[in-house]
Amino acid sequence: MGEVILEMKDIDKTFPGVHALDHVSFDVRRGEVHALMGENGAGKSTLMKVLTGIYTKDSGTITYEGKEVEFHNAREAQAAGVVIVHQELNMVGHLTVAQNIFIGREFKKGFSIDDKKMVEESKKLFQKLNIDIDPSATMSDLTVGKQQMCEIAKAISHDAKVIVFDEPTAALTEAEIQDLFKIIRDLREQQLGIVYISHRMDEIKVITDRVTVMRDGTYVGTLITKDCTKDDIVNMMVGRVIYEEPKTKSMVAPDAPVVLKVEHLNAGKMVQDVSFELKKGEILGFSGLMGAGRTETARAIFGADPKESGEIYVNGQLVDIHSPQDAVKAGIGYLSEDRKRFGIVVQKTIAENTTMANLPEFMKGIFINKRKERKKAQELADSLATKTPSVDELVVNLSGGNQQKVVIAKWLCKNCDILIFDEPTRGIDVGAKNEIYKLMNKLASEGKSIIMISSEMTEILRMSDRIVVMCEGRKTGELMIEETTQEKIMSFATRDVG
Amino acid sequence: MEKKKTAAKKSKQELIVFLVVVALLIFFCAASPSFRQYTTILTIMDYSYYIVLMAIGVSFPLITGGVDLSIGTGLVCYSLAGGYLIMHHGWPTGAAMLVTILFGTAIGVLNGVLIGVMDLPPFLATLCTCMITRGLGSICSKNTGISWPTAGQPGCWFRSIFKLDVGGTKIPLGFIWVLLLAILMHYVLRHTKVGRYTISIGSNKEAAILSGINVKFYHIMAYTVSGLFAALASIAYSAVFKTVLPGTGAGFELEAIGGAIIGGVSATGGAGSIIGTFIGVFVICLLKTGLPFIGLQANWQQIVTGFVLIGSVMVDIIKKRKEKR
Amino acid sequence: MTLKKIKENPVIKKLGFNRIVLTGVLILMYVVLCCSVDNFAGMPRIMSALNYAYFLGFLSLGVTFVIATGGIDFSIGPVMFCCALISGYCLTSHGIPMGVSLIISLLVGMLFGMFNGYLVAYQKVPPFIVSMASMNIAKGVASVFTKTQSVSWPQAAKGGWFRYLVKVDKVPVGIFVFLAIAIICSVLLNHTKAGRYMLSLGSNREAVRLSGVDVKKWEMLAYVICGVLVGIAAIYYVGAYTTVQPGYGDQYNNEAIAGCVMGGTSMAGGLASIGGTVIGVFIIALLQEGILALGFTKDYQLIITGIIVIAAVYADVMARRRKN
Repeated sequence: MGEVILEMKDIDKTFPGVHALDHVSFDVRRGEVHALMGENGAGKSTLMKVLTGIYTKDSGTITYEGKEVEFHNAREAQAAGVVIVHQELNMVGHLTVAQNIFIGREFKKGFSIDDKKMVEESKKLFQKLNIDIDPSATMSDLTVGKQQMCEIAKAISHDAKVIVFDEPTAALTEAEIQDLFKIIRDLREQQLGIVYISHRMDEIKVITDRVTVMRDGTYVGTLITKDCTKDDIVNMMVGRVIYEEPKTKSMVAPDAPVVLKVEHLNAGKMVQDVSFELKKGEILGFSGLMGAGRTETARAIFGADPKESGEIYVNGQLVDIHSPQDAVKAGIGYLSEDRKRFGIVVQKTIAENTTMANLPEFMKGIFINKRKERKKAQELADSLATKTPSVDELVVNLSGGNQQKVVIAKWLCKNCDILIFDEPTRGIDVGAKNEIYKLMNKLASEGKSIIMISSEMTEILRMSDRIVVMCEGRKTGELMIEETTQEKIMSFATRDVG
Repeated sequence: MEKKKTAAKKSKQELIVFLVVVALLIFFCAASPSFRQYTTILTIMDYSYYIVLMAIGVSFPLITGGVDLSIGTGLVCYSLAGGYLIMHHGWPTGAAMLVTILFGTAIGVLNGVLIGVMDLPPFLATLCTCMITRGLGSICSKNTGISWPTAGQPGCWFRSIFKLDVGGTKIPLGFIWVLLLAILMHYVLRHTKVGRYTISIGSNKEAAILSGINVKFYHIMAYTVSGLFAALASIAYSAVFKTVLPGTGAGFELEAIGGAIIGGVSATGGAGSIIGTFIGVFVICLLKTGLPFIGLQANWQQIVTGFVLIGSVMVDIIKKRKEKR
Repeated sequence: MTLKKIKENPVIKKLGFNRIVLTGVLILMYVVLCCSVDNFAGMPRIMSALNYAYFLGFLSLGVTFVIATGGIDFSIGPVMFCCALISGYCLTSHGIPMGVSLIISLLVGMLFGMFNGYLVAYQKVPPFIVSMASMNIAKGVASVFTKTQSVSWPQAAKGGWFRYLVKVDKVPVGIFVFLAIAIICSVLLNHTKAGRYMLSLGSNREAVRLSGVDVKKWEMLAYVICGVLVGIAAIYYVGAYTTVQPGYGDQYNNEAIAGCVMGGTSMAGGLASIGGTVIGVFIIALLQEGILALGFTKDYQLIITGIIVIAAVYADVMARRRKN
C-alpha cells in the first residue's frame, strides 16, 4: 500500500429534509482496494457523487494527489483521473460499444470521427482486460452483464488513478465476477486507488484491503479487512438499531391454504417457465442477482407487462390477468422497487394516493366523497404510523419510508390479500427500515400473503419463511428458511442454466 | 456479426421505402396516362426540393427526441424577408439570399436556446416560434405577396440553380444539389460529433450528460441545423414558385416531418438516417403530385398526408413493441 | 421572504396566488387600454372582446383537460373550423335544421377527440404527431366537404336562433353559458373520478396504471371532452363572426394554449386550474382587442401570444426546477 492519493475530510451535505452526509471522512491509498459499506441509504453513493462533482458539498475538503480540488462535473473528475462505474448503466443504446466507450472524447480525422481507430483501441482495451465483446456491436443488443463490463472498460480507459466501483457485481454471473476480480487485482498492481462499494460480505473479504463503514450519513469506522470478521462489519453497519429477530423457522402452518399458484409463467427472456406457490400468511422471499428476472416475474404476474403463457390461480381459481386492473380485481397489490416512478403520484396528497386503487368505494353519485376519503386515509395513516402533519400533505414532502407506507396504505385500502413487495426498503433510512419489517410481519400474521423481492441477503434471511432463487429468468432453487444459508442462495443465484 | 445485423436492419428500412416510391410511381403511371410525361417529373422535382431540405433539417431535432414545428411558417417568413429586400430596396439577389440564410439560422438558434437551455417542451417552443415567424413574415412584407426576380428580370440567375433551361428543355438541376446536401448531412449525422451527440441526446440524454458532453450546445446545434435548412428550403421555394404569400406555410412542416419519419427517423428520438429521410420525402411528393391525376382534388392530399404520417409512426411503434419481446 | 409569507396566507392560498396576480394583470391591462385608447371603456369594445373570449375560452377549457393528462392538442383551431364548416354546410346547403346542425358540430368535434384520444392513449402515438396529423386532416376534410367554399351562418332575424346563445339584444348571454360550462369543467376536474384520474395520470401515468386503473380509457376521455368543447367553440365562433373559411384556424391553437398555461396549468401534466384558464382567456381576448384598438394588425398578436406562452411555460419550468 502506497501513500494516500485521495482524501475526503469532514464532508457535509444536506438535502431538503435529509442530512445525507454528516461530516464524513474517507481516504484511498495507491495500490489498495478500499471497501465502502453500509446499508441502503447510509450515504455511500451520495459521498461518491460529491467526490465526482455530481453533487456539490456544503462543507469539507477533498485532497487529491496532494492538492485540494473541487470537481464541478463528471467530466472534470474524469480528466483529473477520478472515475466512477455507476450502478445504473449509463450507455447510449443506439450507439456501438466502441462509440460508447469513447463518447465525449472521440478520435478525430479531419472533421469526422475515426470510428475505425475507436474500434481498434476498444479491441486492445478488451484484450488487456480479457473481455470477450465485439466493439462494433450495438450496445442495446448486449446482456446487462456485458454492458456492465463495457462500463468498467470505459472507466479504466480514462487513464484513471482512482476508480470507484458502485456495486459492480450486482448484475454479473459468477464467472464474470471472477474476471472482474482479476481486473481489479491488476489495477491494484498498477498502483491505482480503488473504492469498492458492495453489499456482499464474501466479496469484501476476498477483494478488499480496508473497509470503511457508514451508517445514517455518518462515518462509523475503518477496519483492516484481514484483521476483522464479518460480524465486526455487520455490527458496525447495524449499530444501535435493533432489527426484527431473524427467522429461524417458518411461521406458516404446513397445512395453510395456497392463495397464489403460478404455473409455467413465460414472459420474454427474463421470465422462463417460472412456477411457485404462495401460502396464506407467508412471506416468500425472491432472491437472485440484479437482472435475474425477479421484478419481471412480479410484473408479469401483476399484468403490468404482457405474458406469453402460464396460469395463475388465486385461491384455487384460475384467473385471467391481462392488465393491472385484472390483478387488482383478483386481490393482488404490487409495491414497486421504484416508488417515485411506479408507486406514488408525488404531486397528489396522501389521501388521494391512498384511494387511488379503490376510488369507486368513495363516490357519492358522480362526486368524490372527500370527507370519507380523508377519514379512511387518516385511519390507515394512523395504523401504519405514517409521520405526516395531515393526510392533505403532498406525498412529495414525505421521506422515503413514509412514502412506502402510503403505497402500503393504498393496497390495504383496496383490501388486497396478496402483496408483492419489490425491494421494499430501497432508499429508506435504517430506522424506517425496521418499521417496514415489523409492518410486513404484522400483515403476514394477520393473514396477508407477501412476496418479497430483495437483493439484500440480510433482508431475505431476516424476513422470509421460504425463499425462491432465480437466475437468468429461471427459477433455480427453492429453500425453506430452516435450511437456508447465504452460500446456498448464492450457489443457486449464480447457477449456470445454459 | 451483431453489427452486420443492425446495419442490415437500417438499410432494409431504406430499401423498403425506396420500393414504396417505385411502387407508387408504377401505380400512378398505370392509373393515369397524363402522368407519364416529362413535365410530371419536373413538377415532382419542384415540390420535392423545399420539402427535402426541410426534412433533412428537421431530422436532427427529431433524432434528439424533439421536433421543430416552426420550419413551415419559417420558410415563408425568410423568403418574404429576403424577397422584400430585393423588390423594395433593390438588393442584389445574392445578398438577399444571405439575409434569408442568416434569418433562418437565427430562428434555429432561438429554438435551440428555448429547448436546450431553457428546457421548454420542443413542440410548444417551436409552436410559438411558428406563430412568431408567421407574424414577422407578414410584418416584414407589409402583408403583401412577394416575388423573387422571375425569368428575364435582373437577378433571376438563382432560379437556374434549380431548373436549368437548355434550349427550351428544362433540366431539374436542383435534384443534384439536394442529393449532395443529403449525402453531406448523412455523413454529418454518422461521422461527426454533431451527429453522434444528436443521436446520444435522443437515445439517452442522462448518459450523454454523465459522459461530459455539452448537451445544451449540441441541442442548440440540432435546432440550428433545422433552421439553416429551413432557410435553404426557403430559397428553393422562392426559386421554384413565382409568388410567396404571407400567412401561408403552415402544414409544410407536416410534409417534411412525415417524410423524415417514413424514411426511418424515430418519432421518439435516437435513430434515423438522412438518406432514408431523402427517400421518404419522395413518398409524400409523389402522393402530392400523383393524387390529382387520379381525380382526387388537392385537399385530399392533406388528409392522405395526415394518415400517412400516423401510419408510419404506428409502424415504428409496432416494430419497437415486437423488438422488446 | 415577505412574498413567501403572502403566498402562505390561508385566504390567498385558497384563492391561488397565481390567479390573484392574473386578475390584477387583467384589470391593469383594461385600465391602461382605457386611458390610452379613446372610447375603449364603451360597451362595443367589451362586447367585441367577449365575442373573442367565448370561442377561445371553450378551446382553452378543452385543451386544459388534455394538458392535465400531460398531453397536448394543437389541432383544436383547425378542428373548430372543421366543425363550423361541416355543420354550417349541412345547414345552408342541405337544409338540415338548425338544432341538428348544432349537434353535428358537437359530434364532429367529438369524433376528432376520439380519433386523437384513441391514437394517443391506446396506440401510444406521440401527441404532437397526432395533433399535426389531425390538424391537416381537419383542414382537408373541411375543404373536401364544403368544396372549398366558405360558409355563412344565418343572422338571428333569418332563423339563426342559435345566436341567442351568444347574446339577446344587448345582454351577453354567452358569458353566462361560458361561466356555467367552466364551473362544470372545474367540478368535473376536481370532484369526480374522471378528473382525479386525469390529473393523476398526467402526473405519473405508470403509478396510476399499476394501481389497477384503466388509464387508457381516462386519457382518451380527456381528448373526447376537449373535442366536444371544440364543437361548442365552433358554435360560438360562427355566432360571433358568421363566416368561416376552410384552410384556417391555426392561430387559435396558440392563443388557447396561452390562456391555459398562463392560468397555471403545467405543461408537464398533473396540475390544472380551470379558474386560471378562464382568467387567462380574458387576458388574451382583451389583448387582441387592445392590439386592434391601438391600430396594430393581427400579426402582432401572433408574436405577442407566442412570447407570452414561452414566458408562462418557462415560469412553470423554473418553478418545477426549484422544487426538485
